[in-house]
Amino acid sequence: MADLIIHILVPLAIFSFIAGFTLFAVYAERKIAGFVQDRLGPMETGKYGLIQTLADILKLLQKEFITPSAADRILFAIAPVVIFAAVFIGFSVVPWAPDFIPANTNTGLFFIMAVVSIDAIGILMAGWGSNNKYSLLGSIRAISQMVSYELPVGLSLIAAVMITQTLNLNDIAYLQGIASPEQIYFMGFWDVTDVGGIFAWHIFQAPHLLIVYAIFFIASLAECNRAPFDIPEAESELIGGFHTEYGGIKFAFLFLAEYAMMFLVAILGVVIFLGGWNSPLPNIGSLRLADWTTGLGWGIAWTLLKSLAIVGVQMWIRWTLPRFRADQLLTLCWKVLIPLAFVCMAISGLWRILVIL
Amino acid sequence: MIESFLFYAFAGVAILSALLLVHIRNTARALFLLFVVLFAMAGLYLFALADFIAITQILIYVGGVLILLIFAFMLSNKELLADLQSTSGRFISLPNWQALVLVIAFLSLMVYSYLSWSQQMPQWIAQSEAKGKMILPTDNNIKVLGFKFMTQYVLPFEIISVFLMMTLIGAAHLSRKESNK
Repeated sequence: MADLIIHILVPLAIFSFIAGFTLFAVYAERKIAGFVQDRLGPMETGKYGLIQTLADILKLLQKEFITPSAADRILFAIAPVVIFAAVFIGFSVVPWAPDFIPANTNTGLFFIMAVVSIDAIGILMAGWGSNNKYSLLGSIRAISQMVSYELPVGLSLIAAVMITQTLNLNDIAYLQGIASPEQIYFMGFWDVTDVGGIFAWHIFQAPHLLIVYAIFFIASLAECNRAPFDIPEAESELIGGFHTEYGGIKFAFLFLAEYAMMFLVAILGVVIFLGGWNSPLPNIGSLRLADWTTGLGWGIAWTLLKSLAIVGVQMWIRWTLPRFRADQLLTLCWKVLIPLAFVCMAISGLWRILVIL
Repeated sequence: MIESFLFYAFAGVAILSALLLVHIRNTARALFLLFVVLFAMAGLYLFALADFIAITQILIYVGGVLILLIFAFMLSNKELLADLQSTSGRFISLPNWQALVLVIAFLSLMVYSYLSWSQQMPQWIAQSEAKGKMILPTDNNIKVLGFKFMTQYVLPFEIISVFLMMTLIGAAHLSRKESNK
């Protein structure tokens, strides 16, 4: 019985975290947009506009349910749930601190890759169910982009997994700090197993993993349909993309899913490449900074801080770079990122054989 | 208790949505029902401790094949689809006979295996149970799979990868624009 209660409480906790994060992130996004465009952003509601997003949510919740009369009612109604559930399930295998993980499975990384691909089905449901040309075009664009960019994401993750030799996200995080069960080498020559800190992160364990992380970051931006890859919802051409017809609480779910996806890819990149819950502070002689800043509370704090920093970079990029054209987008994917990812995969194999063993 | 409840829930969802899938006239909804069937089947694989197969099913069939099916459906001609749907409604038509033969063959196979296996456990299952050679839920199946693929089953594995490579090259060749013709 206690197990059952935990199995119910953990998803509730994750859900409330996602909801809180979305509230905070929308406010941060608008403030960052304001800063980049040299204006103030929301200022009226509350001190510095702090409760602006709460007001927005209240407005969304009390809106009327509108279903277009020609829409496929069932598909239209369940599409937001499918999209959100796909992203939400992904959080079940992400570690927050040493052994503090909802489901410690041996297939964690593979599971996330599979579950996130369900997202595409939900988008197709929304586009088809709306019975609107703009929605359909938007969803077709979104899918062609997501399916193409799943390849560089997958290849870059394979390149990292060839170094880690495990798909368990908890073990992957363990391999990047002072608690590592194996020897860690900074760039392959300096033993940093006792030093830990930023030097033990995967991006510094092999020089090509820095490039791999860049590929992963760019492709993950496209996976969550963020600018500069937000062609699926290009307002000037497609009104709102696949969510043109959605309003009220259904739109709130789509919105929640988008921000949850941003956080999911950020935390996934953090766990695999940026040390997960390990502290960035190294041990310097008798100054045991890494030993002092590792633990349950510290782990959660580091994971959150790093992921929020990555989300901040995503927002900064959104308001800095212009949107790509559709052909430029696919050229970048197929002619730059995928060959580069293949090369990195080959280097990973050689690195594992020649340097680590 | 909860496990058996989940098992029957997944099995029920799989069977009911598969029945609905072949019965429904709306092709778009049928394709989305296929998603439900595949997902429920993946859940059933988990009960057989085949977590790798379950995830691969979702990744390849839901994330790849099903999306391609829906794409093909959305981009295809409406009249062509209507043509396909207007099959004969009579019970004794040719497609029904073929289906009937298949169904009877499959049912008799299942009844036969149930009758012959329910009386006594096959020898090899009893033997490995006695020796303790069983897969447990906590085992790292992925590692074993990787070792087996690269050692014992390396030839079939490589042959399959060559086949996949051939289909990839074929697809690229077919979709290429013919420039000098």
